[in-house]
Amino acid sequence: MNDSISTALILIPALPLAAAILIAILGPKLLREYSHVPLIIALIGSFLASLFLLSQVLDDQQIKSPAGFEHVVNLWTWANVDNAIVLPRSPLGESPYSLTDEGPRNFRIDVALRADALTSMMLCMVTFISTLVAVYASGYMHGDRGYWRFFSYIGLFVFSMAMLVSVSNFVLLFVFWEAVGACSYLLIGFWYEKPEAAAAGKKAFLVNRVGDFGFAFGLFLLWTTYGSLNFHDTLSDGSVDSEKVAAAYEQALENRLVTSPSDQPPTAPSKDTSPAEAETAEPTLIRGVLGQSRIRANDYRTGGIALAICLLLLVGACGKSAQFPLHVWLPDAMEGPTPVSALIHAATMVTAGVYMVTRCSPLFFASPEAQLVVACIGGFTALFAGLIALTQWDLKRVMAYSTLSQLGYMFLALGVGTFVGVTAGMFHLFTHAFFKALLFLGAGSVMHAMHHVIDMREFSGLRKVLPWTHRTFLVGCLALAGVFPLAGFWSKDGILGAVHDKIHAFEHEIEHRREHDEHGGEHRQAATLGQETFVVARLAETTAHSPFADWNDATLQRYWWTYTLLYYSGIFTAFLTAFYTFRAYCLTFWGELKIPAAAHHAHESPPVMIAPLMVLALCAIVVGAAFLDPMNLGHSYFADFLTHAPSLASPVVEATRPLHPEFHLSVAGVSTIVALAGIGLALFMYLGERTEARWVQRVSDLEGANQWTGFQWIGRLPQIGWIGWTTGLLRRSGLGFLSTLVGLFLGLVWLIIAIPVLLVQYFTPYRLSQNKFYIDELYNAFIVWPLRILAAVLAWLDRWVLDGLVNLVGYVPRVAGGLMREMHSGLVQFYALVMVIGVVILIVAQVFAR
Amino acid sequence: MSELSLLNNTLLVGAILFALGLIGFITRRNMIVMFLCAEMMLQGVSVSLVAWGRYHNDWGGQMLVVFIIAVAACEAAIALALVLLLAAKSGGLDAMHWQSLREDGVAPFVDRAVPEEVQDDPIWPVLTRSGIEPAHDPEEDLHRSRV
Repeated sequence: MNDSISTALILIPALPLAAAILIAILGPKLLREYSHVPLIIALIGSFLASLFLLSQVLDDQQIKSPAGFEHVVNLWTWANVDNAIVLPRSPLGESPYSLTDEGPRNFRIDVALRADALTSMMLCMVTFISTLVAVYASGYMHGDRGYWRFFSYIGLFVFSMAMLVSVSNFVLLFVFWEAVGACSYLLIGFWYEKPEAAAAGKKAFLVNRVGDFGFAFGLFLLWTTYGSLNFHDTLSDGSVDSEKVAAAYEQALENRLVTSPSDQPPTAPSKDTSPAEAETAEPTLIRGVLGQSRIRANDYRTGGIALAICLLLLVGACGKSAQFPLHVWLPDAMEGPTPVSALIHAATMVTAGVYMVTRCSPLFFASPEAQLVVACIGGFTALFAGLIALTQWDLKRVMAYSTLSQLGYMFLALGVGTFVGVTAGMFHLFTHAFFKALLFLGAGSVMHAMHHVIDMREFSGLRKVLPWTHRTFLVGCLALAGVFPLAGFWSKDGILGAVHDKIHAFEHEIEHRREHDEHGGEHRQAATLGQETFVVARLAETTAHSPFADWNDATLQRYWWTYTLLYYSGIFTAFLTAFYTFRAYCLTFWGELKIPAAAHHAHESPPVMIAPLMVLALCAIVVGAAFLDPMNLGHSYFADFLTHAPSLASPVVEATRPLHPEFHLSVAGVSTIVALAGIGLALFMYLGERTEARWVQRVSDLEGANQWTGFQWIGRLPQIGWIGWTTGLLRRSGLGFLSTLVGLFLGLVWLIIAIPVLLVQYFTPYRLSQNKFYIDELYNAFIVWPLRILAAVLAWLDRWVLDGLVNLVGYVPRVAGGLMREMHSGLVQFYALVMVIGVVILIVAQVFAR
Repeated sequence: MSELSLLNNTLLVGAILFALGLIGFITRRNMIVMFLCAEMMLQGVSVSLVAWGRYHNDWGGQMLVVFIIAVAACEAAIALALVLLLAAKSGGLDAMHWQSLREDGVAPFVDRAVPEEVQDDPIWPVLTRSGIEPAHDPEEDLHRSRV
């Protein structure tokens, strides 16, 4: 049975790769307009293999092991450096399963694939969406010059993404992290003749490098801290055979009990584990960073180093998932073909950051500060992108900012730092993939009909022209807005519910402490918050007390109000989401029929494009509710399934899992009301005449302020009677300089007043949103231009200083050769003579040297 | 005659042959003569090889000489062909004609014995009228012009 898992695991990435290579070789000459066929076949194969993998994982993980289910296939060892690091002696953790990591470690990179709940879920989603997108693209890209190139890139992308989610090693994760970035670059710049597309590709690539820089540093720190970069446990000889690993683990536990750390002098054990002995002895256990043995004992560093690791990993995640400081590339990436936007920049690749943070949950759970940062970045991005999306005119950009916003939601959920939060984040990732792919493909269908015009001011009232696009798009909008009972409702509600739970837990603890202070009790011992709601008894050895028991009151208070703020901003963002989604919907499909001149024969897209839309629309309706327990809506089978992934089976994660999950009717009610209000407002403003919308735009643009910033009123001044009369009188009486002085004074006052007003003109709420809060301009002013100037200076130095030095070195032989030039006469006899003289000199030297 | 003095004398002969060849190669400008001089140097070396072979009671030296002679024959064929081509190209066998290996900007070597052509009075060829036997120098029948 395990062999079939391995086969499926290898087949899933291998099929798209094979298709990509095949298309790259045969595409230009042989396949041409049939280039999509091998890819679609391969993707269907991958999807079936993923489903099979999912069912196998589902079967296998029924045999409940204490630290989740995983199946690792070690393909080969990429690199192995003996004794690359010697880890210092570290104290054992509190758990009876704790082991120490001390001793020499080999730096080995195993090319290992893994199957667990998280991986199989991601694989199913990625292959399913990419199959549909490939089918859609075969219609959308029809007749493009780079038809085969497109499908080859898509195959390469699916390969990279499938590897990204299924590798079991941080180095390989990084490799495929870069690979999806490279594919994204290739596909954004697919129409490379278009300067904007080329620039957008470059921007995406460079911004992602910033994130990858942080990620790489995170990996260095992980390596020096944990002495391994594998997710899974291995033996020191590289074997991953689960029985042997388990035996080694038992052995290590036994040794630990024999040589208890307290009665050993700290230097003694490190001597007898010299590398030479380690080779001859039985292979020992090398604990992976997310290995079951480490997860079971929760042997994770806390404090500063954990915070540093998490923040560095988060920088990487922010780059790939386009979170706040590094979000600028995603909206520009809409220059790529629309299927790419749907596949890469909405549904799959951008979720890599979310996947990575989820995978590293045990690391993040070890550092509540890092979780707070994750939540803040997520919550802020959600709100920020939602505000920008309100005023964008480009249909695809609205969707791009909504993607940012939804990714922000996912990060917010991951930052909540409870089991419910993490699974809600993953669930939102899952449902979002369907409805956002649907919305993007719908936007692509509109674009297809409108001849690549995407500005919503250019067209309107398309519901009759594009009936099926309209219907499916409406489903996507409802799902995105979070309307009951579509997918987006359940997942978004799950996230808000998780934040709500978190706040509730903080409130509970604060309340508890106050009661204890009143009764004069010692709160630390009795602070067993959540005995009712949290499963403490299940893992009593690691979490015998409340997660916040050793926090001081100020910290608790700080966390409480931060999460409260995030909760309300999340609800407000839900309102914004509903509003901008339906604004885009109304602008596109309602109102008078208006079609841009470029699209003289607008028509509905071909069936090959509509069919994927329908499938996705169906998914967007059912995929949220399908995983719920009809008896208890708070209980999700999705979360149950993910429990078995080792990262989420960790006792600290498990401890935050409510025994009786509840469906928060209050949260759901609030979010539904908010969503309906947003939809209602959008419909009110954008259906019909849209006068209200224009009025709101004028108000938020502070239109009245404009009249104070114009220059016209200066010209009108002399016409005002008494001013002209006074200045005339002054001039006649020889006091003309007085009026000049007054004029200068007034000019000064005007400047002082006008500069802020002029600035206000650019910083009205409307313009801030329209211009994306000037983030791009800020980057330009503070990063791009200084770097350009630096580059120019360095180019000058390179050209005139470094090249000059090099040329100088090259000049020396020329000068030396110039001295001998005259001897080179071309006379054969002269050469012979010189040779003879040389030989004579040699002989003489030889003779006299003796 | 002792073996040593035999070696000495033979080596002396070889050295004389080599030195003659060397001097000839450096001083003569006729390409065929230069080639012959080069062959002479080769033979000088061959003689000394034979001498050493005899001295050491070893056939190696003799054997090498056989090889040298074979190689020299090939070389001669090629060299003579080259000389023939060069002579056809320049109309003479003077090695001084071939100076194009010299560095750019270095003045060519000019033989002082050759009088400079005077631009002022070019000697135009005069064609003999047809039907009249051309006058010929009876001197030329007595000897061939030097190459």
